[in-house]
Amino acid sequence: MSSSQSAGGVARSDGWRLLRRTIGKQKGAVAVGVAAGLIWTVAKVTLPLLARQGLEHGVRLNEPGALRKWTIAIIVVASISGICTGLRRYVAFGIAYRAETDLRLKLFAHLQRLHFAFHDHSQTGQLMSRAATDLQQIQGFIVMIPITVSNALTIVLVAAVVLVLNLKLALLALLPLPALNVLANRFAKRIHPVSMELQQELAGVSSSVEETVTGIRVVKGFGAEAYQSQRMKQTAARVLDRALYAGQVRAGFLPLLDFVPALGLLAVVWYGGHLVLNGDLKTTDLLPFLLYVNMLIFPLRMTGQLVAQGQRAVAAAQRIEEILVTEPEIFDKPGAVKLPEGNGEVRFDHVSFGYSPEAERPVLADLSLTIQAGEAVAIVGPTGCGKTTVARLLPRFYDVGSGAITIDGVDVRDVKLNDLRTSIGIVFEDTFLFGDTVAANIAFADPDASQERIEKAAELAGAHEFIAELPEGYATELGERGFSLSGGQRQRIALARAILADPRVLILDDATSSVDPTKEHEIRDALRTVMAGRTTIVIAHRPATIALADRVVLLDNGRIVAEGTHTDLLRDCERYREVLAQAEEVAA
Amino acid sequence: MGMWNSYAVEEDDKLEKGEAGHLMRRAFRMLRPYRGDVILCAFVLIAWTFATVAGPAAIRYGVDHGLVKHNVTAVNRAAIAFAVFSVAVALLSRAQILLVNRIGERFLRDMRERVFDHLMKMSLGFYDMQQTGKLVARMTSDIDSLQELVQQGLIVFITSGLLLIFTISTLLVISPLLALLCLASLPIVVLASIQFQRASNRAYLVVRERIGQTLATFQEGLSGVRVIQAFGREAANEKRFQHHNQEQLDAYSYAVKISAIYFPVVELAGNAGLAIVVGIGGVFVHSGTITIGTIFAFVLLLQNLFDPVQQLSQLFNMLQSAGAALNKLFGVLDTDSPVQERKAAVDLPARGVLEAVDLTFAYSADGPKVLDDVSIQIKPGERLALVGPTGAGKSTLAKLLSRMYDPTQGCVRYAGVDLRDATFKSMRDRFTVVPQEGYLFQGTILDNVRLAKPEATDAEVEAAMARIGVLDHFASLAEGLHTEVRERGSRFSAGERQLVSLARAALANSEVLVLDEATSSLDPGTEVEVESALTKLMERRTVIVIAHRLTTAERADMVAVVDDGGIVEMGTHDDLVMRGGAYAALFGSWSGHAAAS
Repeated sequence: MSSSQSAGGVARSDGWRLLRRTIGKQKGAVAVGVAAGLIWTVAKVTLPLLARQGLEHGVRLNEPGALRKWTIAIIVVASISGICTGLRRYVAFGIAYRAETDLRLKLFAHLQRLHFAFHDHSQTGQLMSRAATDLQQIQGFIVMIPITVSNALTIVLVAAVVLVLNLKLALLALLPLPALNVLANRFAKRIHPVSMELQQELAGVSSSVEETVTGIRVVKGFGAEAYQSQRMKQTAARVLDRALYAGQVRAGFLPLLDFVPALGLLAVVWYGGHLVLNGDLKTTDLLPFLLYVNMLIFPLRMTGQLVAQGQRAVAAAQRIEEILVTEPEIFDKPGAVKLPEGNGEVRFDHVSFGYSPEAERPVLADLSLTIQAGEAVAIVGPTGCGKTTVARLLPRFYDVGSGAITIDGVDVRDVKLNDLRTSIGIVFEDTFLFGDTVAANIAFADPDASQERIEKAAELAGAHEFIAELPEGYATELGERGFSLSGGQRQRIALARAILADPRVLILDDATSSVDPTKEHEIRDALRTVMAGRTTIVIAHRPATIALADRVVLLDNGRIVAEGTHTDLLRDCERYREVLAQAEEVAA
Repeated sequence: MGMWNSYAVEEDDKLEKGEAGHLMRRAFRMLRPYRGDVILCAFVLIAWTFATVAGPAAIRYGVDHGLVKHNVTAVNRAAIAFAVFSVAVALLSRAQILLVNRIGERFLRDMRERVFDHLMKMSLGFYDMQQTGKLVARMTSDIDSLQELVQQGLIVFITSGLLLIFTISTLLVISPLLALLCLASLPIVVLASIQFQRASNRAYLVVRERIGQTLATFQEGLSGVRVIQAFGREAANEKRFQHHNQEQLDAYSYAVKISAIYFPVVELAGNAGLAIVVGIGGVFVHSGTITIGTIFAFVLLLQNLFDPVQQLSQLFNMLQSAGAALNKLFGVLDTDSPVQERKAAVDLPARGVLEAVDLTFAYSADGPKVLDDVSIQIKPGERLALVGPTGAGKSTLAKLLSRMYDPTQGCVRYAGVDLRDATFKSMRDRFTVVPQEGYLFQGTILDNVRLAKPEATDAEVEAAMARIGVLDHFASLAEGLHTEVRERGSRFSAGERQLVSLARAALANSEVLVLDEATSSLDPGTEVEVESALTKLMERRTVIVIAHRLTTAERADMVAVVDDGGIVEMGTHDDLVMRGGAYAALFGSWSGHAAAS
């Protein structure tokens, strides 16, 4: 999922389309924002003219009532300008944040529905940067739209007004100003790589400090303090070098950016002054000229920014679109049915499967297995034999390559996905708990479950006792910011979560692996209760857990190589003993 | 505008009034080496402000003396003056950017070095009490926020302040009455700015928190996607996410609302100034109190008035968070190391008995005693194994014997000298502590070994590695000893990292070796190499090893069983097994375990 690639046939134009769609949804608000911006601009450009009128008619010519008239006009127009600048700002940010929020929800909802294989191949960090950085780029672009329209109009209006006031002076005063745009863009281009280099050096400081503090025992043990200090000295010197260079770049451009408008002002003072002396211009006309030159600084400096930000936003939108156009591979067939009533008989009928078509050999090859309703079957095998895959095919996390899997006689692909999955309870090897209360984690399948049901499930899972001892019992917050539980405790909460769903088929995917061996018996008792009378697939490598099953299937290289009870296999099957011994070794 | 958002300051981090002054004085003391630059910079800043304010004054002169009185020379003079001032502003502005940057960045360089050096001087006791993340934050996010101030905010802050003061003074000099009338709205703007700054700080704190929540929920949705799909909870989880997502939007909207009220107030105040200058200034012109040139100057100068207030209010958060950062950094510099070198410290003599006398230790004054009245003697060249259950105090004993900590009571002596009276340099020469995990730093294998003796030549490093028989292992890598260690040495196995660690000890070549044996089992391939390197390393040295393995204890000259803060048994391996006490029991469980696996 490299960000630069146009994977999935997503081009820049698709990025643009996503941006347009997103903005288009808020057409009305955009129009209000732009309109407010336009009114603000007109008002702003009018003010210097009003001041000029006031000075000309009210002060220089001293017409009766003129001073008051124009002063009131200034106040009225200034008020309009004030209201519109606030409105423009409010609407602009509103549109941008709303767009960001909408897109984030869209992205989240889509990711939630994308098949396992997609998630297997993407990195969380990459997807998170879509949700954070990329959306921010888009927001940063949208927020600039109304102000940019205003800026463009400012430039046009000001140019028009001064040209009418005095053509020659206008040309002379405005002549230097386009240089602002060129300089601002060149400055952005020059400073960007330098800031990046500086950031990189700062990251160097950060990693160097982190490794030293983490490895402080080594530093102290070997007396390497001076050595580390010396290294930090070099790193700090590199930061200084880049920072000084950044300062030089800024010192090269920023004063010039201030100097260019001064040239325009100088033209007004000198040439304008002479025009006044020659009688070609009134003294008071100089005031709007002086104000207008200043008024153009910001719009001219900003124009380049919009282009740059637009480019970043399109690239970001392109990366987001790339995800949005990825279709979920597992979905309801047209005419999918509800899972009919039944007791959970599971059949694997000549199932073959590989995670990628290019793989040399499939993970499962022509696997046939029938699990009677209410039967508990343990699937045992060496690492990579395909036992976890068996567990993942049944709830259609992946679809079989060939053959079929049925529950109570119905092909899982013909069943409504949500119905299928809520009928199967699964406890994963790596238990994932949500940053929520213990109760909410257990009631994940049914948030409306009563406290009684939650506690019942916890009891069955052997979790009630330790939960009751948590600082806030069932209301204790879990997760990164909350209480952290031991592996075994997490495992039991995950088990309670599966139990509460009261599934027709229960899958325990290495669910006891992270439990401390000395505590395993506790969870084993819980498992026995839960499995009673329920179709269960147990994937395990610990003999004690395997022994809970009615029947054991030994899987090797994607095929069933032996079947029988744990005791029988232990006695008769050499390969079975090997596999168990290997598993023990890894665990030790 | 986005850039200000990240500077929301937590209530706890805000400085007290007195604190800020104290901080400033201390920061200035750190600038002493750059006194020349600082003085020059002050002059440049003041000159720049003069030149900036002088521009409108030149225009005033031109209007009054040139235009009104029809004097060509005066117009030319004004134009020349304006040009000179503009060039001066540009040059001075360049000078101030360079100077502020040079002073600020050198200050930061010094700060980085000082804080890091100080951290290096801190003993282990300090690190045990601190969270790694917080210490790292001092050197990273705290100094970085100062850096950002230097790179982006400091000049604007200083120049805005100066400009504000100079502009107000100039206005008052030109026409006191008109100035006062124009400035009437300034208090309102200042108040509004303070209110805005506070409200927006609060609002962005909420925004920051909500962003964190949204992203955390997003991440949770990704990490937990398999569970969510397995339970068919996609729709419900989406709703849960949208709740946070919406809350973030609400927080943003509120923050924007605040700024949508504030900015018009500032703009309006500026334009009200214009109305006053024209309306009331016009009346003053009629009465002959002021000239029309003064009105020009006022209109132009007013632009220097309200923008700086707005700039200052926005920079205030940046400044506050920089102040908070500076405060924390000075806090680190003010923390003394629990283990100090005495003024009259002496060098430790060579080869002597290492002895602990009535050693008692607690990690904190009111904490439980981890060691209680322990005495032990280790002769030169003797190998002592410390065994016992987790938390019994063996690591603490080892740490006291190598002066990672100072004892609460009693003392540790080497060749008759109390370790607290020894120089740090001689401690480093005589003692080497090899921690449990082989920890690698960025750099090559060569660099990593050299850490124990920075002045060692490549040949010396290789010789040390050869002495314990690990040279070939690393020399045979594609890039040999110059192989880069990346990402904490993840490309090397735990055993290989151990080998590097032992090679460091070999290079350090000190008389006393304190070893914390790795608890986790190593890969079978390097296990043998580690064993053999360890054996060679221990030859002719005084060794204290925290033993987790039977063979290690078996090979030691003496075994001390530590339990419950004291030595419960001591003797040779054979004696202790014969005695049938605590060690014999431990030995039994070890051999049983070994037989099982």
